[in-house]
Amino acid sequence: MALVRTKTAGEDAGRAGQAGAAALPEAADCVDLADGLESAEASVRRHAAKEILRCPNAGAALVSRLKREQDIAVRAAILTTLIRLDDPAATAELAGCLRSEDVALRNEAIEALGVLAGTGDRAGAVPPVLASLLADADPDVRIFAVNVMGSMAHPDVERWLIQVIESDAHLNVCATALDLLCEVGTEASIDSLVRIKVRFAAEAFIQFAADLALKRIGEI
Amino acid sequence: MKRVLIVDDAATVRMYHRGVLESRGFAVEEALNGIEALEKALETPFDLLLVDVNMPRLDGLGFLKEMRRQQIPQPPAIMVSTEAAARDEMAACHAGANCYLVKPVRPLQLLAHARLMLGEANQ
Repeated sequence: MALVRTKTAGEDAGRAGQAGAAALPEAADCVDLADGLESAEASVRRHAAKEILRCPNAGAALVSRLKREQDIAVRAAILTTLIRLDDPAATAELAGCLRSEDVALRNEAIEALGVLAGTGDRAGAVPPVLASLLADADPDVRIFAVNVMGSMAHPDVERWLIQVIESDAHLNVCATALDLLCEVGTEASIDSLVRIKVRFAAEAFIQFAADLALKRIGEI
Repeated sequence: MKRVLIVDDAATVRMYHRGVLESRGFAVEEALNGIEALEKALETPFDLLLVDVNMPRLDGLGFLKEMRRQQIPQPPAIMVSTEAAARDEMAACHAGANCYLVKPVRPLQLLAHARLMLGEANQ
């Protein structure tokens, strides 16, 4: 078991604000935990994934391991720690997993990013990680960004979805946003739904999905 | 009546594909992800699978691989995904899909491929 020393509130202030006010591990312990993440034994990796929370560069080490990890329990522990960490750099690393060919990894990243992007006091503005994903040149990444919104419990999701269907040129990005608007759309979406029907007038699916959203909004 | 299982996490897409297929006499069932689809495939055989690649819990590729692993008889499978995810096409073929369509699938395109997979192309 790693030894820990108690630090003063001032020493802890930098990181403890995000990860909770607990003692930081010694540097040597952090090295052990980083090594533990690469252990051949899943139980050791899982333990390290939990305990590395307050070590410097924990986020980068965790995401690096996540990209290669095959054990489901270890993956779950890594994602839980990344969410607790709520570190912008680690979140950006996690967003990079959306480009992975590993579908399971992409899905796990979407769910974790939904939690990370949906927390904190960010009233009104699109969370930075989401804004970056929505501006990505790869339409698949933008689709995954919309999927992230689908896993968020945030009052501004509808407004962000409206921005997507108003501004994104890619059919499937808009189609994904429309699917979500069918669930969360309100009267605020009506004008944008009418406009997207005009913009993609020849696309049967867009017509279908927009009409469905409009019908459901009318039933609210 | 040929039975089709639509596997897609997007409710709108499932409804759209269901409407197209039912309008031409197919009987349709739906699953939200690969896990649900496996349960349905174990319960009763289908004539055709229409499977999205990206889904939570168990994705489309994982679903087909799991069918094979569990030795569940697999009917023809049409894989659907987004344009840029055409990189998934090779993986879909490897997992056992018979063809790969890019979303949004147009109604006539879907019906043509469904009939082709079922050996009804000239009917």
